[in-house]
Amino acid sequence: MRQTNRARALRHVGMVLGSVIGILALAAWTSRAEAHHSFSAFDMQTNKDLEGEVIEFQWTNPHTFLWINVTNADGSKTRWGLEGMSPNFLGRRGWTKNTFEPGDKVKVVVWPLKSGEPGGTLQRATFPDGTEVVNFGGSGGGGGGAARSGGGAPQ
Amino acid sequence: MLRHAWFIAVFAAAPLAAQKTGPQGDTWESIAKLPDFSGLWEVTFGGGPRGGGEPPAFTPEYAAKLQAFQAASQRGEIEDGPAANCVPNGMPAIMTQPYPIEILFTPGKVTILIEAYAQWRQIFMDGRMHPEDPDLTFNGHSTGHWEGDTLVVDTVGFTTDTSLGNQGQRHSEKMHIVERFRLAEPDRLEVVTTITDPEALTKPYTRTAAYGRHRDWTLAEYVCQQNNRNFTTEDGKSGIDLSFEEKQ
Repeated sequence: MRQTNRARALRHVGMVLGSVIGILALAAWTSRAEAHHSFSAFDMQTNKDLEGEVIEFQWTNPHTFLWINVTNADGSKTRWGLEGMSPNFLGRRGWTKNTFEPGDKVKVVVWPLKSGEPGGTLQRATFPDGTEVVNFGGSGGGGGGAARSGGGAPQ
Repeated sequence: MLRHAWFIAVFAAAPLAAQKTGPQGDTWESIAKLPDFSGLWEVTFGGGPRGGGEPPAFTPEYAAKLQAFQAASQRGEIEDGPAANCVPNGMPAIMTQPYPIEILFTPGKVTILIEAYAQWRQIFMDGRMHPEDPDLTFNGHSTGHWEGDTLVVDTVGFTTDTSLGNQGQRHSEKMHIVERFRLAEPDRLEVVTTITDPEALTKPYTRTAAYGRHRDWTLAEYVCQQNNRNFTTEDGKSGIDLSFEEKQ
């Protein structure tokens, strides 16, 4: 069921966007004066890799939040909260409220919080089948955007 | 007394400057002859408020305000703005958020729906004047007219809670904004915004924003308070609320 939903979402996704484009796009968005918030709380010099299991994906304004359980080196678990673009923005670029579902295994790249708390900005996420979603899409004019790449055909 | 005289001069200037040409959208028949602004418009990359042009030229008083802001930012005392607490940006920044807008024509009025922070602006096209002593609001009081293919919007009456676009760039209650909306290409809307303010600026501040048309998009709900985890504290610190309740 989970895979079916994802496959359905995938079929609506058009072109593939690399993370380079994503970061360029982010730079453009964040340079825009006074959007919702500044990025002062995040360490944008650090790309932190995390691997975990989805607890919940909150498809809410002003930001989506992906909550994942990450297993630490000592076997303990830490819940991370990862802020993403809004459902309005992502929904126009191929994402849906079912892009992540509880139990999904994901590898993510984030800009961590400077405070050291387990949170950050989601840059992109990769699923076990190799498909990838990028949080910062293009302008939307190209008929696609935050697409999954690398996975080939939907399952 | 001098201040009052200035107000009258500015508010009187708008109708004097109005060069109405072509259909004015005062009837449905007239609206049918206007340029097609339908669909949703999203600011294009590079088309935002920093899309070129000179920075605002501040009077000494307002340059000092900006410097004080920048110094406080350097000291880490101001990490984020009011929008992080879901306070709408107000004019002019509300027009260039990374969310679409929709422009509606009805007889005698243009309405701009702004998805970000679920805002709207109403532009009176029926020949009325600005109020003599307008309430001071985030989006101001707008009147407009057509000069051929260009919609010209004149707005006054701003609260000083908002900025010119970037934090620390303050303005007075006398800020006056003129926007010129025009289809530069069939699916590209260009808005030239000129801001004057006799207390804050030594000369007009002009910038141009470009919007791309998305006919197949529809506006989406934007309730900023739904799950806003970003915050700014009174001492200027920003952060994220990571509290989480497991679903049963």
